[in-house]
Amino acid sequence: MTKGAEKKQRKAKAVAEKKETTTTTTTMRETVKLISMEGFEFVIDREAAMVSHTIRSMLTSPGGFSESKDGVVTFPDISTPILEKICQYFYWSLQYSRGKETEFHIEPELTLELMMAANYLHT
Amino acid sequence: MAMYIRVKRMKTTYFIQCDPTETALDVKQKLFALIEQPVSNQRLVLMSTEEILEDSKSLADQKVENDAVVALTLRKDDNEFEDVNIAQPTDFSIS
Repeated sequence: MTKGAEKKQRKAKAVAEKKETTTTTTTMRETVKLISMEGFEFVIDREAAMVSHTIRSMLTSPGGFSESKDGVVTFPDISTPILEKICQYFYWSLQYSRGKETEFHIEPELTLELMMAANYLHT
Repeated sequence: MAMYIRVKRMKTTYFIQCDPTETALDVKQKLFALIEQPVSNQRLVLMSTEEILEDSKSLADQKVENDAVVALTLRKDDNEFEDVNIAQPTDFSIS
């Protein structure tokens, strides 16, 4: 093999390896599933769910909750619109912590239920 | 993360982090990691305008903004795409 060809091959291999690591990071990008009272499912990034201290401890406590293994958390007391609003809040919170200053809009009719859920979730 | 969109099908909502410069195809690839449906079997419809998103165009070009709701439809056995189907929680309440 000539030196040039060898170099080319090595480069191709490096590119292939790099590709492999990027695909693993995308599949590794962990998500968790939150399930509402009515059985609606919200698939969100793990880092977003971690905004809630309650969910964080469910997902990280060693051996305690089954949630920490399969990443599925069921909330039989939280209705679907409230749980969706909470997920939106998680993402808003991530954006806000990265310096994007926007308002978080809450419909007045959701306020009470949302406050109760937020209290439970330590959010 | 510059923004996120809410991709909905039936009773499931996927929160997908993305950038306005990414294309609809990029979003489909992210969905592939979650639902294991090949990108060619996915169709995304922006709910505010009911327009089907084109793979090659960026999200910004197609007016997909932060917090936008996008419906996901999948290819059926007869090769056609199913209709938009997003369940609402009120469908199940006893009134």
